[in-house]
Formats: sequence, structure tokens, C-alpha cells
Amino acid sequence: MNLNTQFIFEKKTRTILISGIVLGAVCLGLTFFNDDEYHTRFWTNWLHNSVYFTGIAFMSMFFLSAQITAFAGWNTVVRRVWEAMSQFMWVGLILMGVIVLGVWGHFHHLYHWNNPDVNITDPEAPHFDRVLAGKKSFLNPIWFTVGTVGFLLVWYYWAKNLRQASVDQDTMETSDFKYYKKQRKWAASFLPLCGFLSTVFLWQSVMSIEPHWYSTMFAWYSMVSMWLGAISLTVILIIYLKSLGYLDYVNFNHLHDIGKFLFGISVFWTYLWFDQFMLIWYANNGEETIYFNERMTHYPVLFWGNLLLNFVTPFLILMRNDTKRKFGTMFFVACIVFFGHWWDYFYMIKPGARIAAHEATELAEGKHGGESHSAIAPGSDAKHEMAAVAENHDSASHVESINHDEAAHAGGDTMVSKSESTTMEEPAGGTEHAEGVNHEGEKPVEAEASTEHGGEGHAEGDHKDDSKAFKLGYTIPGLEEIGVMLGFLSLFLFFFFNQLSKVSLVPMRDPYLEESLHHDTGTLIEGEGAGQEHH
Amino acid sequence: MSAENTKVLYGLYNDEEDLKGAVKTANAAHLDIMDVFTPFPVHGLDPILGLKESRLHYLGFIYGAIGASFGFLAMTWIFTSDWPTMYGGKPYWSVPAFIPITFEMTVLFAAWGMTITFYTICGMWPGVKANSLDLRITDDKFCIAFDVTSASDSTVDNLKGFFKNTQADEVNVKMM
Repeated sequence: MNLNTQFIFEKKTRTILISGIVLGAVCLGLTFFNDDEYHTRFWTNWLHNSVYFTGIAFMSMFFLSAQITAFAGWNTVVRRVWEAMSQFMWVGLILMGVIVLGVWGHFHHLYHWNNPDVNITDPEAPHFDRVLAGKKSFLNPIWFTVGTVGFLLVWYYWAKNLRQASVDQDTMETSDFKYYKKQRKWAASFLPLCGFLSTVFLWQSVMSIEPHWYSTMFAWYSMVSMWLGAISLTVILIIYLKSLGYLDYVNFNHLHDIGKFLFGISVFWTYLWFDQFMLIWYANNGEETIYFNERMTHYPVLFWGNLLLNFVTPFLILMRNDTKRKFGTMFFVACIVFFGHWWDYFYMIKPGARIAAHEATELAEGKHGGESHSAIAPGSDAKHEMAAVAENHDSASHVESINHDEAAHAGGDTMVSKSESTTMEEPAGGTEHAEGVNHEGEKPVEAEASTEHGGEGHAEGDHKDDSKAFKLGYTIPGLEEIGVMLGFLSLFLFFFFNQLSKVSLVPMRDPYLEESLHHDTGTLIEGEGAGQEHH
Repeated sequence: MSAENTKVLYGLYNDEEDLKGAVKTANAAHLDIMDVFTPFPVHGLDPILGLKESRLHYLGFIYGAIGASFGFLAMTWIFTSDWPTMYGGKPYWSVPAFIPITFEMTVLFAAWGMTITFYTICGMWPGVKANSLDLRITDDKFCIAFDVTSASDSTVDNLKGFFKNTQADEVNVKMM
């Protein structure tokens, strides 16, 4: 067993990965030329994969920093994997930079707050949006630039220096704590940077796709989603490297610990997911429930598939002790979780961006907020019709697209006060707050419409609106999306293997190397004793 | 447990690594160890002793499943038939609102069920007198014990020799 090995990035692997990147580019091209006028499918794919893979690099850095700060010694033998993964943030900077350029140059309509056709933050404009006007100081191109590429630059600087300290450590004659202390400084100072800045990063790049909606749980939830992407990719990469004959000294004790993280953080993700869902469901506040109503009604496969992939599968499979110690099972679960959190970001980004593009189209055509949404006519029958709307499960989805400028038509006061908006003269606002004080009797119906049974029986009400209809690439990922994911994954792996091949696979002078080599979880699995001796 | 009819020969060690080495030596010499006592769980000791994996966690899963079903069904019955109450305009059967309580019931049943099962297996009930070989094995000593009730003198000498060879700190005999 030779510890001091170097990873060799073989030509064959290179060729395969480059083909993967080409495949991704072709799929991106297909979505670009076969798309609506704003190329929404192309841009959402770009944003989705950029955020996910950059997030994986970022969370590898976080994971590593947290462990160095906690004096964890078991992970030294796999540390170089995380170090190499974190360097991908440099590429992520470019990927997110394209989105930033798009925001400045209006190449895409991912973000409704950045709509160039109408000045929605101007009180005099016909499509004045009071909510977005209030958020203007944060939702603007300058902050977007700072909040995405600016922060990525900071994180990358830290990741680069942490890795440099680790690489410099290899030059020492004997093990001591000189460079380890240096690593600890970079690692410990990264943690607050990571915690506070990632929140803003995710608000800017993902949550602001639906700028009227907000959730204080969102940054937590999506950050943990990235973390699971990073953990599962780590498992996949370690098992792949082992299959090539590298990392011989990484055994099922190390795998068991990473497996515990995969299991525990999956449960944590579910906890956060459910927290966000239940608080919004309980409060039943129209501007919040819209998010889940849209997804449960029109994207049931995304909604339920998310839970199946990211909670049920890892929970039931990894609950047992021995499944976390089997390379085959762990590889299988890691692949599911990796795909599952890619799916999770798909679920976060696609429906919202589709609405944003739909709104942009309607605004550009000048018919926004008018005839196409005349589900409710103002008048004495409004209350009756409102119940009908609630029953066809479509009320909330209309609200998102019409509330701001209907509000403007109705005097701009809808968003100010709930009690006002429940008066019948303001149809759109009235719908939005139909669960408000005036309609005690309809409450259960409304609650069911927005949460419980949103998934069923909605098709009849939606024929008019093609922005809700089934469409590959939005309702479920199409083949192109899978291709784009493989392309970005190949790009990630290309960069990863390239970084990995530059230094020794094990930090030979790390003070915790011996602890890591003799790591033992103390778990008793029958028939494993012989294997343990072998390793 | 009737009182004091088992004669136990035990040796005390100062370090868990010494203990693990001694157990390996005993295995090689085919000595029949009655039990091993340590103040804390020692990693890697179970496979050397040839202990099987505990089945307690299977019961834990079953208790948890019972707790989850009980919690969920109880709430379903209470809030839909026994005492229908409307909270915040929600339907009577509000699954999201039941989930936290279902979770808590799962944890409660699994934790209590496993604790009670474990105590039952170990014969530990309130009022049971602590029947310890040596109080120091709950502090800083590591102990290997042999049952020598019906052992011949030569066997006992052989075991004492074993303790001496493996640098046991102390060797005692006790009826328990």
C-alpha cells in the first residue's frame, strides 16, 4: 500500500468527459433554438445547473472547513477530494457571470424584477408593482452582481488559500501543526462567510425568480440541498477512484461516516423542507401559499418526486447500519440523492421562471392583467364566483400573474391592507385573500384547494393557460435537461480530475494522517472482521 | 438470580489496549471467557469476543412504527370523529399538522420501548441491588472474568498464569 500516490488524469477519461461537455452543449443548443422568444428553457437550464454545481463546490469547501474547525481527523485520507471539488467555484464564477451579464443586458427573463419592457417600480407607470418597488433596493442588477459573482469570488479566494495551505504542508520534512494552524484560520473564517453570504446568494439567484414570494426557510433549505449534492458526489467519486485502484486506504469505516452524513443531512433536509411547507400551509397567507399551490397543482411529479428521491429513498435504505458500509449500496443511494437534489433545484427554479417568462410575454403584448385572466367579473356575484374559483383549484395561480397590475388598475391599494382587499370591488386582490375574514364558510374549501388536494382535478380549469400545461423541460425534466446535467457534470469532473491530478492524493504531512488511516467506527458487522484486517 | 453460587475468577487491567491483547491471547489459548467489563464501550472489542450484533434496533424499528401508526390514527380519530375541531380554517383531517406529533410519537415509542426492553433483558428493575464484581470496573479498570465454579485446581492455576502473562494488574476471586 503506497500512500504517496498521484492521480493520473488519463487520456481516455479526458475524452469521455469532453464528449460529455459536447453533449451538454448540444442539448443546451437544442433547448435554445427550440424555445419561446425569451429562451426560458435554455436560461433556466443554465441557471439551474450553474447554481447546483457551483453549490456543490461551495458546500465541499464548507464541509471541509467545518471538519477542520472541529479538529476532525478521520477525513484526512479523503481531504484532497473535497479540496479539488471546491476549486470548481472558479468555473462557477464564469457560469454565474453569464447569468449576471444576462441581467445587465436583458438577455433573459428569469427575474421578473428585472423586466425591461415596463418599469414596474415606477409609481407613475401603468404596471406599477408596489411589492417589487419596496424590494428595489435589494432586487437590482448591482446587488445581483455582488450577491452572486462577488460572493463567489470571496469564497473562491478562501478555497484557494485553504488548498494552498494544505499543498504547502506536503513540503514539510515531518508532520507538525504549522500549516494545519494556517488551514484552521482559513477554515474557521470561512464558516461565517459561508453562512451569511450563501443566504444572500440563494435569495438573489434562486428565490428572486418569484420575487413576490419569500420564505425565511428558503436559504437553509436550498443550502442543505447543495450540501447533499456535495456529499453524494463525494461518495460517488471516492468509489470511482477506488475502482481505479486509488485511495486503497479508504475503507468502509470512512464510508460509514460519510454515509451517516448522507443519512443525517437527508433527514435534516426533509425537516427544513417540511418546516417551510408547514409554516406556509398553516399561516395560509395567499402571497406565500402561491408557491406551493403552483407546484402541487401543476407540477405534482416534481413535488412528490422530490420527497421520494430525497427523503424516502435515503431514509429507508440508509437507516440500517450495514447499508452505509457497502460500496454498492452507498453508490446506488448516492446516485439517487445526487440526482434528487438536482431535481430539487429543478423544482425550485423551473415553475417560477416559467411564470416570469409568461408574465414578460403578456406585458410585452400589452394584454397582461386583462382579458386572459377574467375568471372573476367584478360585481355583486363576486362572492359566489370566488367560491367557484376556489373550487376549481386555480385561484392562487391567477393571483401570482395578475396581482400587481390589477392592483394598479384598482387604485394600487390591494397590497396595502388585507381588509381592504377583501372588498368586492377588487377582484384580483379579493381572490388573493379569499381565505380572509369575510368568507368563513369557504375556508375549508380554500384550504383544501391550496394544499391538500391541489394535485388532482385541476386539468379542466387550465386549458386556456398554456403556461400551466404539461411541457417537457418544465413539468418534468426532458431528455435535453438530462443531457445538460451530464454536460455540466462532465465539466465539473473534468475540472475536478484536473485539480486532483496536480497534487498528492493524500496530505502526507497532515498531523491527523495516522488517525485517519486507523479510523474505526467501532461498528460490529458480522463477517466483516476479515475484511477489516485486509484493509 | 439466587445469591452467591457462582465462583468468579477475574483479572483487572489498566488499559483497554492491554485488555484487547489479553482477550486475543485467551482466544488463542481457547480459554472460555465468561464476560468482560469496561467502564466505557471499547471500539473493536465485540468482534474479538465473538459477540453477535444486537437485535435491539429491530425492535426499535417496530416500536417506532407502532408509535407512528398510533399517533397518526389517534389524531385522525380524535379530529375527525371524536371531537371534530376546526383550526384556522383547515380541514378536519389535516395531514401536515399531524406530522410533527406523529414524529414525536415515533420517537417516544421507540425510545421507551427500547429502554424497557433493554432493562428487561438485563434484569434491571427499580429496587434491584447492583451486583458488581468490583466497583472499580465502573471507574478506570478493565476486567476479564472466568466462571470457575466447577473448575479443577489445575484449570484455575492455568487461568492465573494467563493473567500473569498478560500483565493483569490484579487477580481476585469472588462469589456472586
